[in-house]
Amino acid sequence: MATALEKPPVVAEQTPTAGPRTGFRKYWHLYAAISPFYLLFLAFGLIPVGFSLYLSFHRWDGLGSMEWAGLSQYRYLLSDSDFWSSIGNTVIIWALATFPMIFLAMVTAVMLNSAVRFKNVYRFAYFLPNVTSVVAVAIVFGSVFSTNFGLMNALLQAVGLDQVAWLNTPWGIKVAIATLMTWQWTGYNAIIFLAGLQTIPSELYEAARVDGAGPVETFFRITLPQLRPTLLFVLVVSTVTGLQSFTEAQVLLQNTSNDSTFSGGPGHAGRTMVLYFFQQTFDNNDFGYGAAVAWGIFLVVVLFSIINWRLVQRRGEE
Amino acid sequence: MRLSRRGLLRAGLATGAATALGGLASGCAVPTGSTGRNMVLWYWDGGLGDTVLKKARARYDSTVNLQAIKIGGYYRSKLITTMTGNAHVPDIAGLKGEDMASYLPNADQFVDLRTLGAEKYQSQYLAWKWEQGIADDGSMVGFPIDCGPVAHFYQYQVFRKAGLPYEPADVSEELNTWEKYFAAGEQLRKRIPDTYLLTDVNAVFENAVQQGSKRYVDKDRHFIGDQAHVRRAWSLAVEAKRRGIVSNLVTGTPDQISAVDDGKLPSQLGASWATYDIKNGNPKTKGKWRIADMPVRPSNNGGSFLSITKECREPERAFEIIAWMLNAANQASGYVDAGLFPSTPASYGLRQLREPDPFFGGQVTTDVFGPAAQKIAVAYNSPYDVALGQPIKDEIKNVGVLGKDPDKAWSDAMSKCRRIAKHLGVSY
Repeated sequence: MATALEKPPVVAEQTPTAGPRTGFRKYWHLYAAISPFYLLFLAFGLIPVGFSLYLSFHRWDGLGSMEWAGLSQYRYLLSDSDFWSSIGNTVIIWALATFPMIFLAMVTAVMLNSAVRFKNVYRFAYFLPNVTSVVAVAIVFGSVFSTNFGLMNALLQAVGLDQVAWLNTPWGIKVAIATLMTWQWTGYNAIIFLAGLQTIPSELYEAARVDGAGPVETFFRITLPQLRPTLLFVLVVSTVTGLQSFTEAQVLLQNTSNDSTFSGGPGHAGRTMVLYFFQQTFDNNDFGYGAAVAWGIFLVVVLFSIINWRLVQRRGEE
Repeated sequence: MRLSRRGLLRAGLATGAATALGGLASGCAVPTGSTGRNMVLWYWDGGLGDTVLKKARARYDSTVNLQAIKIGGYYRSKLITTMTGNAHVPDIAGLKGEDMASYLPNADQFVDLRTLGAEKYQSQYLAWKWEQGIADDGSMVGFPIDCGPVAHFYQYQVFRKAGLPYEPADVSEELNTWEKYFAAGEQLRKRIPDTYLLTDVNAVFENAVQQGSKRYVDKDRHFIGDQAHVRRAWSLAVEAKRRGIVSNLVTGTPDQISAVDDGKLPSQLGASWATYDIKNGNPKTKGKWRIADMPVRPSNNGGSFLSITKECREPERAFEIIAWMLNAANQASGYVDAGLFPSTPASYGLRQLREPDPFFGGQVTTDVFGPAAQKIAVAYNSPYDVALGQPIKDEIKNVGVLGKDPDKAWSDAMSKCRRIAKHLGVSY
């Protein structure tokens, strides 16, 4: 240790063994260089998060004085059937969006990975939906799913089926929101899968070919297992974003709700957890309960992330 | 002095850190209100007329620098965030009518306008509107900007073709009850197939509730949404559904807009500001519309206020500006600029409000909205009305759209209200 101190390092990274006493003094400028992120995170991330926890133990209308409420907000949360139904809606919409999305993204990625021309054009095109404003997309989808003049019903009628009042029936609403989310995320995740596909060593494929495996077998025995980390990443990200879906339902259904833009359409079919949080907080001015709902959402997201992780992990152990 | 690159970097970082720390430490030095000569006013797009703001700025330029800032997005949440944060709070703040109930319990955050001599202006304003700006403790928070009297918009030719009264005076007179209005809807559908009187049942329910002098929660924090006035509105809405006079369309969707264009939805119960919505949403229907009284009695929808926050350094001056900006002559100019229907009856006779409107076949719409504005009933607007009205509105929507059994829907709404009331500390 003493000898290490005697000869000062030329480059900081080369001496990870430097004593803790000298650590900060020696590297303070490095810490300073990365500090903006942490300061911003502290101000706009950690402090609000902490405050929302504090808020959830109070009753507050957003302007007046706060009133201590103990655990009553959480007790109400557990008995609030609207909150539970909003979890149900969110999960259904998430499932309706995520599984087709993963399938489509995988197919797209495999196709992109095979030798096609204008690869970069496709990559760009597939990424585009993800950087388009959700609000704009939701407005367009509102037209696509409208009853008499929508593209969707035109398609249904073209194949001889009946019209569906998409935005006026509980399942129609869920399907419409899920379709929007699928459309928006397929391209992005296809790019992620593509990156994953390209890390698979070609030796594996060569070996498989030598062993006489067909394309289907190769896909299931090599591509899919090798893609597991990517799949986990995609699943976790989709879960986190899908469970927080808000704008899609809010914009798509705002006309349906007469004076609350957060009520989620007929039968509350499109009322996601975050939409419910928003309604409680900003429509009802119930900031304390809104904070409790937000923490409820947090727990649900954590739970689903754990489930995802376990699922993908376990498959890896087999 | 020679500065090495590293030295410069270090100095720069140190300065940056010092500034950041200094900024944090001197957080309390952020001004709570406006600074210097500034008098800051917050409003939203269309909340005040541009001409009035320009004139006010010029008029008071010798004493204050009136800074009118148009706040975009979710106005109320931005205002309360600023007020709670206690930094850069505007001197004068616009308050939207639908948010009034949530500001009034916090009247201590605003200057009581009575202390600035507001009462001497009272007689110039609509009594019910004035009342809406006053908190339970009697202090006056909001000074009236505009109001939103609701009237019956209808398409002249369609009504004529269906054999219904079609001149505004006749429509006002003959369709003056919900029963006659609904009967007209039945006749309409019989004579012109696929034509509906109204878009949805909520148009009936909410207008019927708004017509009354009671809503969902009373002054004593007691739930009254289960009483006769709401039940009556509910059964009217159910009846509208049963008699088949409401469409299955959704307001604002391409379907509904084209139905309105085609005369398939020839009637609307809309507030004065809805004239702008129709002009923008259905420009093709120019000249086809007329305006008459709504059935039974007029109701109000919307209309906002100006307030002076407690951070204002010159409340007297601010009040002088407000009272001037919202006098009868300036309200008439606000009507021209932004469609703000005046809360000062003296404006109704002014030239700006007497212009025939070609979109409504040359009708002087003030002839309907003016008298309507003066007949509106005062209803107590509780801060809990939103939370406890929503379940009922949601359930009537389920009846209208999903065909849910009305009795089941009503009992579901009531059990939900009971639960929410308990949570909010409202007696049931």
